[in-house]
Amino acid sequence: MPGADKETDLSERIESFLSELKRCGSGAGSLRGSAETARETTALLRRTTAQARWGNAGELMEIIRKEGRRMTAAQPSETTVGNMVRRVLKIIREEYARSRGSSEETDQQESLHKLLTSGGSSEDNFRQHFAHLKANVIEAINELLTELEGTTDNISMQALEHIHSNEVIMTIGRSRTVEAFLKDAARKRKFHVIVAECAPFCQGHEMATSLCKEDIETTVIPDAAIFAVMSRVNKVIIGTQTVLANGGLRAVNGTHTLALAAKHHSTPLIVCAPMFKLSPQFPNEEDTFHKFVSPHEVLPFTEGNVTQQHLTPFSTLKTEIVNKFRKKKLTQK
Amino acid sequence: MYVSIFFCSRPLIFCPTLHRSRWRKCAARVFGSREKTRRRPNAAEERNVCHVAAPLTPLSNMAGKAGKPSRPRKADKDEEEQPLQAVLVADSFNRRFFPITKDQPRALLPLANVSMIDYTLEFLTSTGVQETFVFCCWMASKIKEHLQKSKWCRPTSPNVVHVITSDLYRSLGDVLRDVDAKTLVRSDFLLVYGDVVSNIDISQALQEHKQRRSMDKNVSVMTMIFKESPPGHKTRCEDDDIIIAMDGKSKRILHYQRAQALKRLHFPMNIFHSGSDEFEIRFDLLDCHISICSPQVAELFTDNFDYQTKNDFVRGLLVNEEILGNQIHMHVTKDGYGARVSNLLMYDTVSSDTIRRWVYPITPEANFADLEGQSCTHSRHNVYRETGVSLGHGSQMEENVLIGRNTMIGANCTISNTVIGANCVIGDNVTLDRAYIWNRVHIADDVKVKQSVICDNVEVKHGVVLNEQCVLAYNVVVGPDITLPEGTVLSMHHPDEEDDEDDDEFLSDDNDVGYRKDKTKLKVFNPAEVGSEGKGYRWKTSSLEDTEEDELAECIWGEIDFRFSQFLTQSYKISFRNLGKQLTSLLNQFLYHGGKFYKSLLKKWAPVFKNYVKRPQDQLDCLASMEEVFLERETHWAALVKVLMSMYQLEILEEEGIMHWFNQGSTTDKSQQLRRNQGLLKFIQWLQEAEESSEEDE
Repeated sequence: MPGADKETDLSERIESFLSELKRCGSGAGSLRGSAETARETTALLRRTTAQARWGNAGELMEIIRKEGRRMTAAQPSETTVGNMVRRVLKIIREEYARSRGSSEETDQQESLHKLLTSGGSSEDNFRQHFAHLKANVIEAINELLTELEGTTDNISMQALEHIHSNEVIMTIGRSRTVEAFLKDAARKRKFHVIVAECAPFCQGHEMATSLCKEDIETTVIPDAAIFAVMSRVNKVIIGTQTVLANGGLRAVNGTHTLALAAKHHSTPLIVCAPMFKLSPQFPNEEDTFHKFVSPHEVLPFTEGNVTQQHLTPFSTLKTEIVNKFRKKKLTQK
Repeated sequence: MYVSIFFCSRPLIFCPTLHRSRWRKCAARVFGSREKTRRRPNAAEERNVCHVAAPLTPLSNMAGKAGKPSRPRKADKDEEEQPLQAVLVADSFNRRFFPITKDQPRALLPLANVSMIDYTLEFLTSTGVQETFVFCCWMASKIKEHLQKSKWCRPTSPNVVHVITSDLYRSLGDVLRDVDAKTLVRSDFLLVYGDVVSNIDISQALQEHKQRRSMDKNVSVMTMIFKESPPGHKTRCEDDDIIIAMDGKSKRILHYQRAQALKRLHFPMNIFHSGSDEFEIRFDLLDCHISICSPQVAELFTDNFDYQTKNDFVRGLLVNEEILGNQIHMHVTKDGYGARVSNLLMYDTVSSDTIRRWVYPITPEANFADLEGQSCTHSRHNVYRETGVSLGHGSQMEENVLIGRNTMIGANCTISNTVIGANCVIGDNVTLDRAYIWNRVHIADDVKVKQSVICDNVEVKHGVVLNEQCVLAYNVVVGPDITLPEGTVLSMHHPDEEDDEDDDEFLSDDNDVGYRKDKTKLKVFNPAEVGSEGKGYRWKTSSLEDTEEDELAECIWGEIDFRFSQFLTQSYKISFRNLGKQLTSLLNQFLYHGGKFYKSLLKKWAPVFKNYVKRPQDQLDCLASMEEVFLERETHWAALVKVLMSMYQLEILEEEGIMHWFNQGSTTDKSQQLRRNQGLLKFIQWLQEAEESSEEDE
């Protein structure tokens, strides 16, 4: 039976994605970019929409929610997955509303009064069957995918507005967005980049090599030298892993130092973050929030018997530090 | 010619200028005694090794930098479409975990609340294995049931698991012969045990292996995977200490020897004539018990039906290398973690390593086995909590703690370095340190537990204190108000049930289902052993004093005389020389423990000695090897008399032998000094007098 085949194929894909997420590299160095994760998640959800069995929007949303929960649970520190699931759910709701007829506008801008009076009835409404819903949803998800593909380009398009000639720019670790951003600016402008190496994973080294290839003048400094060098820096440009709901950031280790130093010297800090990194999470759940990896990088196994080591590839930035810059400079798309 | 010697993290490198015979001498001195090799090179050794180059790590650098790891599946898609296969041996073929393994096979014992076999399967799956054959023998049905329920047997699993059971497997050799007979493997396969915990990325080793195979067909049959870890590292298990001589360039193993308790290491000269000019002698390796084998390995096991273990196989191949033309290579990993849970000490270490995240991404909170409701949260100081854990007022989870679901912990408890399973109830004022508590355990108030294993459904009553290395096997009840001495092992099975098959040490973890039926003789629990309300038997003899228990503890926790008993069964063909070696190691152990309980040990092994020490020549050999031991330890000379005396009393040695040995012209000053020892002289005098008096009687 072809239907059953499809379903096992689908669940096989989901399983392999989940285990991939769980394994997700043995250190921050080999993490995949979150753009890739976002794309994969969306593609998987599109496949679910196409292949799972559902009769109406409500059922589809149930399925997506269920899978989404599993995916987010697989790697709680990867917020991108959850964000994409939420986006897809929103798409379904929109498409459903559109299929229901011209009420799209009113539905989207439901008044507070209406929300209060209608109660849970809106949930019931998703039970209506529409023949075209599937095609429409898939179409909309495809649009989302195209948008995701273009995010990095869209951000780097704005590079020239921020980077001027002969500036000294500091960055930390390796962010694909920042990399593209700098490279784009380098086509027209000449500037100097200082990369903090971001120990112990030292993604900064990779970043520097990659920038050098584009003929950008690059210097690698140890994390400890950030403050010393900061006085000469005109701008700090960083990437991030997540933008939290309170405006804080969760970014690679060392970013906190960098931001504090930048604040001390009143150097502008620009955070390059695509849309899918905005997360509704608050940084109050310390437990699931951090990601701890093997202590191997800090202290080789052969060295022995140290009782306690913690290594997390990400640090959290308190809102206070970033806040001031964020409103003006957060490059959003 | 370069020879590097690794016995700590820094290698010593002998330069080509050093004359061959000279470096051999150096090497002999460096490895002169095992004790020496176990610590970092001291000044004297540095002096010996005069041509020491700067501490480089040539090998590890090479291994670390050779290319980014890539999934093996993708890498060689173009050449071969053969899926990677693995053979998983879910039986240990020994009884280290006795009496726990009487109720549950070793592969299913929980390690950080997940069965060990799940770790192994996760490792295999994440390295890209697509087909796994699980061989089980002891309690095969339980393993099968477990696997069928697990995620590995779901249709979506990328790794297809086949379970093959038979009661006839007695060793690894039998399993591999069966693999060959059934022609299960088509290409290279991974060979692992069911109790290996690892996160090593073997794709690089696999590639190297394939490359070697394609370069000269069928010469290299096996690649063994090792992890660097210096002697004395806690994850090293003394059982598995090995010393390896290898070709530095091709990574070919030239010599492989278990270094366990060996005083002197011999390297056959011919291995250094093999054409290469770079050798490494390494003592800093931990055998991960993971090997990449070609199908020939199974064939070789069939051809040589006397191969029982991997050790036999490796040694056999190396000895017959010139005849068969097969080679073994090795791969040393720096990054990954790999260890085998081969005894309870290793269980302790591997558990704590898992909790300390060395095996990342296989960590408790990852819930890799995908068990329902097993998800847990991870917070600072490596505290993991599953759902439904309740913690009383004032209780502290200090560090490295894992608590299973629905476990209730009372007030004012202190818990550190501990794993607690699901549905346990723990009372107030309990102190747990390095405790491994499995599921559904009840622990009452005011209990103290140190480095112990407590199995399923055990009840520990009020005020019990468990000292180091205690084991409470399934369903035991202990207490109230009793202190169990160090190394106590309690089980619901009476040790006497064992006697029947004790003569066959090669039984796999035990197949005595038949024997157990004769439970007609009802035994009474001894309240002195388990407390007034306790249920359980102290394992093995409890009549002798503490020394016996110590020894027993080492039996289950470590190794002391396991090999000796192994020896017993194997050894009717082994010469006395070999026994002498064992004897020396045994003596070493006595001295090591302050010589306190040599008597009971000697008594125990007296029959063995008697069997071997028959002819006068044997006696001389025996005495000579003893002398050798004592010569090295001047401080213990006083003990020599005691040992001699008890051996005389046990009728192992006869007076003629001792006299002959004593009167023998000794060559060195030191041995003469030994003979002039006050106690010894008295003993000899006493012997002479006894002889004379007996003659007079006649």
